[in-house]
Amino acid sequence: MDFSIIIDGLFTALQPINLMWLVIGAILGTIVGILPGLGPATGIAVLIPLTFGMEPISALILMAAIYYGALFGGSRSSILINTPGDGSSIAATFDGYPMTKKGQAGQAMSIAAIASLIGGVMAIFGFIFLAIPLAQFALNFGPAEYVMLFIFALSAVVALSMGNIAKGFLTMFIGLGISTIGVDLQSGVHRFTLDVPHLTDGIDFIVIIIGIYALGEVLYNMFNINKAKKPDQNIGSKWFTKEQWKKSLAPILRSGPIGFFLGILPGSGGTISSLLAYSTQKQIAKNKEEYGKGAVEGLVAPESANSSAAVGSMIPMLTMAIPGSGATAVMLGALIMIGIQPGPLLFENSPDLVWTLINSMFIGNIILVIINIAMVGMLVKVLHTPPKVLYPLVLVLSFLGAYTLGYSTVDFYILILAGVLGLLLRVLNYPVVPLILALIVGNDMEQNFMRATVIYDGPVSILFASPITIGLALLTILSLSYPLIIKLLGRRKKKDHPMTM
Amino acid sequence: MYIIRLSLPVLFIVASLIYAIMIFQLQPAMLGEPNAPRYFPLIICTGILIFSIVDLINMRKENIRQNEDLEMLSRKSTLKVVGIVLGFCLIYTLIFEHLGFLISTILFLGALLFYLNGVKHWILNLSVTIITAFTTWYTFSFLLEISLP
Repeated sequence: MDFSIIIDGLFTALQPINLMWLVIGAILGTIVGILPGLGPATGIAVLIPLTFGMEPISALILMAAIYYGALFGGSRSSILINTPGDGSSIAATFDGYPMTKKGQAGQAMSIAAIASLIGGVMAIFGFIFLAIPLAQFALNFGPAEYVMLFIFALSAVVALSMGNIAKGFLTMFIGLGISTIGVDLQSGVHRFTLDVPHLTDGIDFIVIIIGIYALGEVLYNMFNINKAKKPDQNIGSKWFTKEQWKKSLAPILRSGPIGFFLGILPGSGGTISSLLAYSTQKQIAKNKEEYGKGAVEGLVAPESANSSAAVGSMIPMLTMAIPGSGATAVMLGALIMIGIQPGPLLFENSPDLVWTLINSMFIGNIILVIINIAMVGMLVKVLHTPPKVLYPLVLVLSFLGAYTLGYSTVDFYILILAGVLGLLLRVLNYPVVPLILALIVGNDMEQNFMRATVIYDGPVSILFASPITIGLALLTILSLSYPLIIKLLGRRKKKDHPMTM
Repeated sequence: MYIIRLSLPVLFIVASLIYAIMIFQLQPAMLGEPNAPRYFPLIICTGILIFSIVDLINMRKENIRQNEDLEMLSRKSTLKVVGIVLGFCLIYTLIFEHLGFLISTILFLGALLFYLNGVKHWILNLSVTIITAFTTWYTFSFLLEISLP
């Protein structure tokens, strides 16, 4: 490994302009994460216009900082008001909020921030050792391998929408369907454009993403707009004790790798990682009865995993252009828009960009701990922002973001439709990530599929085109059978231990 | 409540049928295989139709009364708020290019704030509306050099 590139990356990350965007991203991300209902995906989607006109590396640093900043912030509202900022901070409510009720909110927030830092740093080292070999491996990919990779990624995302497999497939096909709108790049035929010139280039998936995540989220929050919870101003000491630290270290170190490896899998993201880290920690703990009542181990384990998963989810996004979570899907779209094409060639052609990002993530995690500990009183005040004022502002930013993508109000109609769709999908428990992922990879998948069918004389031969395609086909079968295996294991467990049920 | 629950699978079935009609109306490709632009959409159309029907069948197993969100959305008061907010969004879409960013945003944000936050907080509503509209307009037009209508 050429260490001079790493050092160059560190110096680029430390340039005043990049440091400034890093701090701004970390603060914005923390604020967005703290506000209930606005997760990292919504935060990045709404703030995309900010990146216009910026240097690509600064834009990437800003978006990554918003992403992990929002994860730091998400746990603040979980701890303080028992309301997770997004799915990945659900596990932080289990023991974080009981700690607040015991008068330990400040300690809970500071130790959670340290857990996130250690989890994040562990994952950065994992990123350094795994991303480059993976990118080099992906250089062997041709059209057939890419088709199988997309099929595997989509099926993994669908399979991880546990209990909603049919709904997952349905939203995946809807996403693929939307991606077929516009000119077919191989034949030049206009498809499903309804004679609207703006649709010739297809529907910008960022508009759909803003619609589903931001507008859909605002409409969903209208349900409880009068019932916003406010935190207690008294958060107690913000410094955790030696005893709490002793109890926390092992769970933090154990949960980081869990989060990292789960984060790499498409679709698993922070929610599954943090919940799994919590349950693993609880299973091996001696003081099981204290969990759910304010056990510090129950708070730090999911926090470490969550932060680690965020870094892990960037690996498939940067090396293969396959987003591992909703937030990385939004980031992928934004990166393509500003001229950065994620994929194996990114590591070959722009190593400086990749190493600057990695170094910025390291610095960003430290900055976030400082923000989250030093500015704890101010962050509590953010939770006092009235939702009735906040959500109209999010709506304006969403419309503004959509307009700046294509300079046409046709995108406003698409935004509104996507918002209504997002609301219905959420209320009726349809998974959104398969739709977003399918929407992003749909066009590439079709182009590679058509090319591969020509090269290999038909669609079936794509499966057996190379050892990689066979391997990916087996992984697809495995991922689709995963829910069935879990179900069967669950039944067996019930049979073996009927009394515990 | 049942109508809302039914809405998506039924909408997707109808959409897949319209999509199928549009696929058969597509122009054939001038180069190579004439039906090539239809293949991928056809697979997708079949997928949407099959899984919408499966979802419709699975609905019978679901206890929709346990879905709190659906129960909330089915309330008249919630539907009214969501409908009015969407109405404001639609009006904003219609006036945006005619009145320009500044005026349309002041009207849109002001209407939303007065509706959601109440007339009682008129000072806060007005100041938030004016500050936001001017700040975003200035940031985009001058700092980011993005032209707004």
